[in-house]
Amino acid sequence: MFSEKADKNAKSCRFCWMCRHLCPVGLVTGKETNSPRVKGLMVSLVERGYGYTAEMAADMYECCLCEACTNDCATGFEPPVFIREARTRAVVEGIAPPAVQKAIDDLLAKGNLYGKKPGKLASGYADELKGLPAKAPVALHIGATIACRAPEIAAAAIRLLKKAGVDFCVIGGELQTGAELGDLMGFVDDVRIVARAAAAQVDATGAGTLVVLDPSNARMFVRECGEWGCAPAAKVVTATSFFAGLVKSGKLKPEPLALGRVTLHDPCRLARDLDESQPSRDLVAAMGLDFKEMFLHGRMTKCCGGVILNNHSPQLTDLTSVGRWEDAARTGAKTVITACPGCHDVLGKKTPEGMRVEDIFVLLAKACGV
Amino acid sequence: MELQGFMTDMVCSEFEDVVGQANVSRRDSDKIAYGVDYFWIGRMWADRGRALPAPEFIVRPGSADEVSRVLKIANYYKIPVHTWGGGSGSQGGALPMSGGIILDTKRMNRVVEYDEVSMKVTVEAGMNFQQLEWYANERGHSLMHYPSSLTCATVGGFLAHRGIGVLSNKYGKIDDMCLSLQVVLPDGSIIESLPVPKHAAGPDLNQIFIGSEGTLGVITRATFKLYEQPEERRFRAFIFKDISSGIAAGKEIIRKIHPSIIRLYDEAETISIIKEVLGVAKKGSFMNLAVEGIPEMVALEEKILIEICKKHGGEDLGGEWGKKWWDNRITFFYPGHIMDIPQLFGTMDTIGTYDNIEKIYWAMKHAVEDNFPNVRFIAHFSHWYEWGCMVYDRFIMDKPPEDPEEAIRLHNRIWNAGIRAALANGGVINDHHGVGLKLGRLMKEQYGPAMKVFEGIKKSVDPNGIMNPWKLGL
Repeated sequence: MFSEKADKNAKSCRFCWMCRHLCPVGLVTGKETNSPRVKGLMVSLVERGYGYTAEMAADMYECCLCEACTNDCATGFEPPVFIREARTRAVVEGIAPPAVQKAIDDLLAKGNLYGKKPGKLASGYADELKGLPAKAPVALHIGATIACRAPEIAAAAIRLLKKAGVDFCVIGGELQTGAELGDLMGFVDDVRIVARAAAAQVDATGAGTLVVLDPSNARMFVRECGEWGCAPAAKVVTATSFFAGLVKSGKLKPEPLALGRVTLHDPCRLARDLDESQPSRDLVAAMGLDFKEMFLHGRMTKCCGGVILNNHSPQLTDLTSVGRWEDAARTGAKTVITACPGCHDVLGKKTPEGMRVEDIFVLLAKACGV
Repeated sequence: MELQGFMTDMVCSEFEDVVGQANVSRRDSDKIAYGVDYFWIGRMWADRGRALPAPEFIVRPGSADEVSRVLKIANYYKIPVHTWGGGSGSQGGALPMSGGIILDTKRMNRVVEYDEVSMKVTVEAGMNFQQLEWYANERGHSLMHYPSSLTCATVGGFLAHRGIGVLSNKYGKIDDMCLSLQVVLPDGSIIESLPVPKHAAGPDLNQIFIGSEGTLGVITRATFKLYEQPEERRFRAFIFKDISSGIAAGKEIIRKIHPSIIRLYDEAETISIIKEVLGVAKKGSFMNLAVEGIPEMVALEEKILIEICKKHGGEDLGGEWGKKWWDNRITFFYPGHIMDIPQLFGTMDTIGTYDNIEKIYWAMKHAVEDNFPNVRFIAHFSHWYEWGCMVYDRFIMDKPPEDPEEAIRLHNRIWNAGIRAALANGGVINDHHGVGLKLGRLMKEQYGPAMKVFEGIKKSVDPNGIMNPWKLGL
């Protein structure tokens, strides 16, 4: 049985085609099952007595939960609601694809998707942590994806905070927020427990401001923890917003960078889920870059695939990554700037010859000479 | 001949050899995806939990050459082929009613050539039309094809069913916008129509395949006109006392100027949908108009249409409601606004000359409302020409029979009554949704002996009858 909310959404979406043009997975695979309509149809058929099969479960995981469909719906329906519940059911019934189950097992056992042992995640930016306090007015949340896949982002952010004279501490990559688990198995109690523990650890730092580097984690702290009544006491701000504020106040003074034309890939968790896209542009402007917008940007951004899909179905993110690079190439830019480690990772694996992907905080550190 | 035993696997291997293993499926969950399109009966059938029509194979070619090789195999084994683009058609045109193959075109989604000299774009037929429109928008251009299904359907789907958009008065139907086609015939031949659509080199090959609904071959590529974006688009709305005065105004306007939009709603639709979405709570017939292009011309055309509407008693509502309608033009079609199961409903859009169009409207309204208790009939008039216009009539029954077989019979009786009333008064089976499975049985009634022409073409290009059986009355 699906919840009343999931059933209502599925019943509405099962015969509606209006958002199919926005599905990043559907666009690159051309598969009919990769549309919110068909996923809603499957859920509604299951509610009408069709068996829920491993094939259907696998189809439910061919989605990056980027919420482009929800954002576009003129009447407010939300396919991710029933897709997440279908994933919960797949896990409960033991029919989730093996690669998905492995990802869940890794998260539950090690706290990250990448098979790294807890306690070893800070190795990529360990030098930067020296001398930092355990408690401070500002806490910087790193997240597992940055720690494991792009530690240079953490290092850059820490150096920038030091340069700006911010009194801060760091919450390392070991602290998972439940963002990945929530995408893989739905917003079940296990995920709430993880999110609550994360909020409690933030509270333990005594910070009044929590700066979150990974937009997926920022969304979890702001949106889900808010809904579940377990938001941290600290004010949660995205790193893009926080660093744009430091630039605006003159605490960071970037020098112009010579990169040729650049464009921005808005992470869906940041631009759509948190409705934040201007600070990235402010930072790009502050670095004096020749910027051209992609056609689909801001709340309309097209997901590159994301870390979860990349983890269990890398063959799909090979395609979604290429799809986003094609969008970028049409701007004439040679450099795509991201503000999300997942996007950086996924775009990075299919970078076309002569183009490159850069993280915005790494660039800012360079522009600020740190 | 049925494929027995492991013969199905043998044929499947042949398809895999052409398009790759990842692009052939016999999974049950994939089959579900193709068992429902926008056709009411299919949706009702799914809602009742009945077994959906299912293909044996789903094949997803990535090029015309692959389509050609797939059709050669299908023809050899005499396996039915149902071409599927977006699957958003309302006539059951793509449903795999005879099993066989679903040939999903969506992997063919590339822009082949963008020609700013001649202002044309060549594109593969599986491309989503909104994606194509955005591609043109990036360059400051537009295809000016804005149907409510813009985001849902593919290039090939619009061509196969002769689609139309809300700006048709100025820019035409899809069959006016298309300059040339590439088609794969059922025997695997890849053919091209002429490079230009206007000529005296025999009948127009484009227009044989546009509207053929997958019964004569597979459209794999098309070239369309491109337009500069208008410098200005201005809206104006009016309320007329009835549809007669609105139609009189509309036909005078279209004969004097070129508005992009003229939409006239009957009194019933003005009260129901227009009030609900736009908040215009006035009695009468609501008309929305748009003029666009160079500002000087726009100003002049607006002045003329205001004069004409006033002459016919139209109350000027200004530009705000028209703009609001434009901003909400697709909102009408989202769940929560559009009719949905369990309601029984259908859109019987037809078209006629001005001497017939009101007769058609009233005959269809009476045929539906007088013969079927508890069925409402609403309509609007859009897509205007110098000689006539389209009426977009819809019927709605809130509580149809629970029993699905009984519901199908009632559905078909309502359709027969409505369409036969249109035909008897100078209308046609359909204006821009196509024929499909829904209306195929009425094609012979409409065309009479002229149907032989279509049957002859069908027999010539598809002698084994594998292409989309039972659709279009062929």
